[in-house]
Amino acid sequence: MPVCWNCGKPPRDIHFCADCGSLQPPPANYFDFFELERKLVLDAAELDRRFYALSRRLHPDVFFRRGERERQYSLDSTAILNDAYRTLKDPVKRAEYLLKENGFETGEQKSANVPPELLEEVFELNMALEESAKEEIAAALAKFAAMRGESDVEMARQFERYDQSRERGVLAEIRGLLNRRKYIQNLIETANGTR
Amino acid sequence: MAYSDKVLDHYNNPRNVGSLDRNDPNVGTGMVGAPECGDVMKLQLRVDEASGVIEDAKFKTFGCGSAIASSSLATEWLKGKTVDEALAIKNTDIVNELSLPPVKIHCSVLAEDAIKAAIHDYKKKQGVRSPAEAALA
Repeated sequence: MPVCWNCGKPPRDIHFCADCGSLQPPPANYFDFFELERKLVLDAAELDRRFYALSRRLHPDVFFRRGERERQYSLDSTAILNDAYRTLKDPVKRAEYLLKENGFETGEQKSANVPPELLEEVFELNMALEESAKEEIAAALAKFAAMRGESDVEMARQFERYDQSRERGVLAEIRGLLNRRKYIQNLIETANGTR
Repeated sequence: MAYSDKVLDHYNNPRNVGSLDRNDPNVGTGMVGAPECGDVMKLQLRVDEASGVIEDAKFKTFGCGSAIASSSLATEWLKGKTVDEALAIKNTDIVNELSLPPVKIHCSVLAEDAIKAAIHDYKKKQGVRSPAEAALA
């Protein structure tokens, strides 16, 4: 545990010193920031509660009359607070974040990592969508929404599996599920004419 | 983001959209995808048996303008090249030709991957039909 920059004693929680009450530099990790375990299943109400409590405690107005160092920490903390909240609140973003932390670089995935069956399937679905008449679009959308629903159920199942086992293999499976979900999401946007 | 004129030209008038017969032994098919953006690209080429030159190339891409332009340009470049010449096409050539910005470089990588995958598929098919293997069969 690091010590307080001001008085040299260990802080009470990750944000404030127990002894002198000084605001500490913000932890860079989003789970640490909310003092949450690095798990994929997350209690959304609990996250909300911590977010609102920290918003009040870390707000720059609170540090208006404090030293420059704490004023800066407050600004830094508030910026991370908002990013961390948006990321952890959304299951897909949360999983992407945890994957990245564990060395799964999303931007550097190669075609070789995408199963050929998935590419074939997505290609065929796109072809069918392109050739569908206007009145068939609604049915296609319903089908894609159902596929997304199924993949979300499977994702929730794998989230639990990971939290219990902490196995890298499960993360690899989640990586695959997220890729599939991205393709389904794009199909939905294409069908809606929003892509 | 602003697309270059060349990207817009390929996007609005894509060359060689379509497909070739997958089961033709002289046709190679490459299917690749970029999961981070959800793009999927199919590129096919047909090699003339006598000359070993790529006589036709087709593509179909579901993705952003840069991905479509990259694969459209790739099919243009493939025609008239030998298989080995085609393997020498680099994604950086596509980046330069289309003036792709850094965030779209992966689209050109995808096109290069598609060329390589199609040639790999073609070679695999040709290998299966080689006299030596036929004799063993």
